[in-house]
Amino acid sequence: MDIRSLAWKNLRRRKSRAVFTGIGIFLGIGTFVALSTLTSRMENAIQDKLDRFGANILVAPRAEQVSLGFGDIALGGTQVARAKLSGDDRARIESIPMRDRLGRVVPYLLHAADASGKELVWMGAPSADLSGARPWWRIRGAMPGSGDEILLGSEAAAALDKGPGGTVSSGGRTFRVSGVLAPTGEKEDAMVIGDLRAVQELAGTPGAVSYIEVAAHCKDCPVDEIVAEISGAVPGAKVTAIRQVVESRREAVDQFRKLGIGVTAIVLAIALLVVFVTVMGNVQERTREIGVLRAVGFRRRAILSLLFWETGWISFLSSACGVAAGVSVSLLSAPLFGVEGAGFSPGIAATGLAAGTALGLLGSVPPARKASALCPTEAIRSL
Amino acid sequence: MEPIIRLDDVSMVYGGNGTRVAALDGLTLEIAHGEYIAVTGESGAGKSTLLALLGGLHLPTSGKVLVGGVDLSSLPPDGLSDIRRKNVGFVFQAYHLLPYLTARENVMVPMAPESADARRKEERAEALLDSVGLSGKGGRLPSQLSGGECQRVAIARALVHEPPLLLADEPTGNLDTATGEQILDLFLALNGKGRTVVLVTHNRGNAERATRWVHLKDGKISGETRKTEAVPVRNISMAQPGNWRRI
Repeated sequence: MDIRSLAWKNLRRRKSRAVFTGIGIFLGIGTFVALSTLTSRMENAIQDKLDRFGANILVAPRAEQVSLGFGDIALGGTQVARAKLSGDDRARIESIPMRDRLGRVVPYLLHAADASGKELVWMGAPSADLSGARPWWRIRGAMPGSGDEILLGSEAAAALDKGPGGTVSSGGRTFRVSGVLAPTGEKEDAMVIGDLRAVQELAGTPGAVSYIEVAAHCKDCPVDEIVAEISGAVPGAKVTAIRQVVESRREAVDQFRKLGIGVTAIVLAIALLVVFVTVMGNVQERTREIGVLRAVGFRRRAILSLLFWETGWISFLSSACGVAAGVSVSLLSAPLFGVEGAGFSPGIAATGLAAGTALGLLGSVPPARKASALCPTEAIRSL
Repeated sequence: MEPIIRLDDVSMVYGGNGTRVAALDGLTLEIAHGEYIAVTGESGAGKSTLLALLGGLHLPTSGKVLVGGVDLSSLPPDGLSDIRRKNVGFVFQAYHLLPYLTARENVMVPMAPESADARRKEERAEALLDSVGLSGKGGRLPSQLSGGECQRVAIARALVHEPPLLLADEPTGNLDTATGEQILDLFLALNGKGRTVVLVTHNRGNAERATRWVHLKDGKISGETRKTEAVPVRNISMAQPGNWRRI
């Protein structure tokens, strides 16, 4: 018989009160674990998609806008490029110190040229990188597999009246249409898409590049640092982080996380109150028992210890049940949030367990102090 | 005999503005080591207050309570707890056993804050239960025991630290006459082994078993009787009480 076993035996005797004391902690920790697990998984899933679905940094030649006019008459303006990009810039980008954070680096060349008698914009990119750079493209037919094959945007295919297997001539060369792109709503719809080298030859600018798309792995994304390193590696280029994509998606997750924190905080505050009220009630109910313990020589610290052990047991067990419930809920509800396999996170579980136990102990501090300060005679009354 | 307790002009006033009630009024009393003293009086005479002061459950409003030569008013709350644990055993009218613990566990309760070996604690509790005639009943809950048995468990609990002073508040108040007699015999036997016993009672017959009888009225001693002849003691085996320990 020690303080710990005395606390445990008392809990077993007052099961319903123990359950009521712990239910707030159970719900609070369950909510915390479920929402934290889901948020964490959603963040990872979004990040994976971001990383998979393409670029978030654009490297283009630095250009200046020049206004044109005659006297007081403004004639608009034009952009003058300070420098041009080349195929070698790809290698420079891929050699920055944070290259481990880089995914795909894809150079593009845009060139307006004849296509079977129609003036269209040709977009060139390395054939091997095309499917990876635009994984959301839906193609009737296939991606270009060589320099002699091209992909037509939906509008371009309609204008040329060509489909997979057809041919398009330009610059004295004949290109086979390997596929037609389903409408994307983007400018690619009106383009002819081919291998970078073929488009460079067509434009008569071997090695030229219009811009380079860089996909950075943006988990805890240090975009600013990556941008700075790329700017250093390609001095003549204007490097822009496509923050909108990253930040808008992150914002959505952040809002979900804030909602989760808010809900968890409210539930845990209620749990704290429930612990405080029930333990205070417990102390009132056991005034005589506490008086007897004081009369037989229990010091104040022993009474504190007894109540802390009791609440500690309840809080720990409730938190453990809350963690289990939270993990189960996150697993069951993961498909509703578009998350695959919201699994067990030891860090979140350990945090939930520690937070629940600490919360229970915190809520029992005032009642325990009150109990330890009870005058033995006031408590026993019959004396 | 050497006084184990001395009350020196002790007053105890309850309440505050306008509702002050003097439970004890300038009481002076000495209790010698090994005495068996009965305290009687009407309700409100101050009996329970006196017992609370003797056990360090209360501190007097004025005057001094010296236990083993130590002024209780000079001790911090934990010091008073230590006095109670080591030197005072309480027996209550309503037993005050913890209903969710067995008889053996109830006896072990005062040892709970100690870090002693659990087996040693159990052996000690069993020995005490044996000594009060409850052999083989250590595993029963209070609800499975009679009133007299519960009071025996309470006495065993009071003796767990071998206190030299035993304070009993109407220990037979909830018992039938025959069972009450057995409990009083037990107190007599404990006194016979050297323990100082202070018994608060309404019952004149119970008081007459003590070696000294103090009657309280309005917080003062209104009468005192000392007995000279010995009272026969039944054959009850008891653990040898320890000597008074100075704090």
